Amino acid sequence: MTGKLVVAIIAKLYRLYGVFTSILAILGALLIGVFIILANGDSPLVAYLAMYTGSFGDLYHLASTLANATPLIFTGLSVAVAFKAGVFNIGSEGQLYMGGIAAAVLGIYITGLPSAVHIPLALLGGFLLGGLFGVFPAILKVKTGADEVVTTIMANYVAILFTSYLVNYPLKPASAPMGMTRDIMASAKLPLLYSLSRLNLGFVLALITIVLIWVFFKYSVRGYECRMMGQNINFARYAGLRVNNNIILAMLISGGLAGLAGAVQVLGVQYRFVQDFSPGYGFDGITVSLMAGNNPFGILPAAILFGAMRAGGLAMELATKIPSELSSVLQALIILFVTARGSIASYFENKLASNEQKKQGAIPNLELKGGQ
Amino acid sequence: MPIVEVIFSIEVLVAGIRMTTPLLLASLGGLLASQCGVFNIGLEGLMLVGSFSAIVFDYLFNSWVLGVLGGILFSSLLALVFAFFVVDLRADEIVAGVAINVLGLGATTYLLRTLFGVKGAFSSPRIQGIPVLNIPGIDRLPVIGALLSGDSVLVYFSWLLVVALAIFLYRTPLGLYIRAAGQNKEALAAAGISVRRVRYISLVLNGALCGLGGAYLSIGYLSQFVENMTAGRGFIAIAAVVFGEGDPFRVFIASLLFGLVDSLSIRFQSLNIPSYFALMLPYIITTIVLAMTTYRKMKGKRRVQSADSY
Repeated sequence: MTGKLVVAIIAKLYRLYGVFTSILAILGALLIGVFIILANGDSPLVAYLAMYTGSFGDLYHLASTLANATPLIFTGLSVAVAFKAGVFNIGSEGQLYMGGIAAAVLGIYITGLPSAVHIPLALLGGFLLGGLFGVFPAILKVKTGADEVVTTIMANYVAILFTSYLVNYPLKPASAPMGMTRDIMASAKLPLLYSLSRLNLGFVLALITIVLIWVFFKYSVRGYECRMMGQNINFARYAGLRVNNNIILAMLISGGLAGLAGAVQVLGVQYRFVQDFSPGYGFDGITVSLMAGNNPFGILPAAILFGAMRAGGLAMELATKIPSELSSVLQALIILFVTARGSIASYFENKLASNEQKKQGAIPNLELKGGQ
Repeated sequence: MPIVEVIFSIEVLVAGIRMTTPLLLASLGGLLASQCGVFNIGLEGLMLVGSFSAIVFDYLFNSWVLGVLGGILFSSLLALVFAFFVVDLRADEIVAGVAINVLGLGATTYLLRTLFGVKGAFSSPRIQGIPVLNIPGIDRLPVIGALLSGDSVLVYFSWLLVVALAIFLYRTPLGLYIRAAGQNKEALAAAGISVRRVRYISLVLNGALCGLGGAYLSIGYLSQFVENMTAGRGFIAIAAVVFGEGDPFRVFIASLLFGLVDSLSIRFQSLNIPSYFALMLPYIITTIVLAMTTYRKMKGKRRVQSADSY
């Protein structure tokens, strides 16, 4: 009886709250992490405590975590916007590089502007070039039917190679080592929010962007159309929506947001463009968006979690013998568990349904299936 | 030296053939996955796990055969995990593929540091490289001898695999089932064949081939493991799969082309010519080829279907 109740509650929670599934995924990954840490002869308690204090322990670490989360908020939003419109953008990584290089060029070569003009200009450049790089695969998809999953993967490498070429040849300053531009103008630098850390105005911009994207989907006609396409593209076509236009629009915004991720890293953290600077922010955006169930507000805690794991992983490495790469392993496990959430929910539902059937010989509980 | 001579030099061709092998093996694996209806973007992670386990087994047992088998074993196991999530738990294949890549890179780097206590790279005189095969007769011929003889056993094995896979996919019942699982799984199920089992088999074979490709990198091409040593080859392999459109011979041609580009770019680097644009070629060519094929299909479909059913 209690067992049945527990199953019923879990099944309900799964359907009702995506958050619950994400938390279960995190707990599951941390549990596996315990065994990995034990296998290495360390104490899980010490390791996880170090991870926690290294990410939320005091103001400095909290600021580092938020600084780490900033690009992930943008790339998470990037993936979510495309996904809501039914397009899978795996190209955030490349769009991020294009946005970063645009911001760097505008930040270096335009001089004599006040910050209030220079910063928005560089950000806009990052948004547009990132967006342009998202629009190419969208046009190919609309005009030729080429799968955007493949074309955006291909575009990633083109962008990484192209920006590497730029910073090793035309944009390389005579005095500097290979692989980076010179510093951007002071007027293009995003001000720091907490002087000891890398936390900068970009985090606030990320928060504002979350609200803007939410408003776009909630209140704009285009946003509504995109959401309908994401739910059923064929229905959207029948209903006479401007499907092709909207795919291009969604990829423009999606690419633009990834571009902003790169621009904010360049203008707020590195102050220059460094070859291969992203440790996979674009791919992490897929995870962040997935954990958030593509909900703009869900992006924030998800991005902070991964930002914390990055910051905390390093702290853990200092406190124990555990390499910081444990964070990547945990992250991969979280992704796997989160992707499986639909079927875990149906597993509990089926179990519940078959229990009911056994007991009453009646048709399975249909109410619980409503969410499908 | 004129650029044409560089491009057509024997060294570049020979190096290109070597560069082709890991791409070819991984893309033949990816081909099996795509044929059974699963688009696997986790080739990179599978290869990396193959590279690492090959080094571990080779180091432990001082044997390249066990190294290769170890590489195959562990990337097959990882592919099994991928299959479990994608086939049984109906996880999104793209996201699960991303997870495999993150896991492959994270786990190998983690284990490199905990098992061997080194950061960056590991090598040891204990590691026995995959032997080189000199084909008697051919090895004495000019040009052809350098191209067709004196490479690692795996290089030649990968060529045989192309033919074997073509026969397997197009001339055996299991190959038919695999293609049916991708093209019309309802029909396959109606014929009484378990789609689930067929997909499991192809995905594990996919893992095995990626593991073989990874093992070639660490104990064939080099004699060491370097963090993230696949360096995007798994994604070039995806390009070759897309380019190949289900045909192992086309996959071979694509891999060869991309392998040559790879070796050419290394040559460019040594001559201080920027190689970035050459390295972009696989991705750009694949995008163009994909767009052209899907465009033809789309136009064909439009002609066949009536306007309202589109």
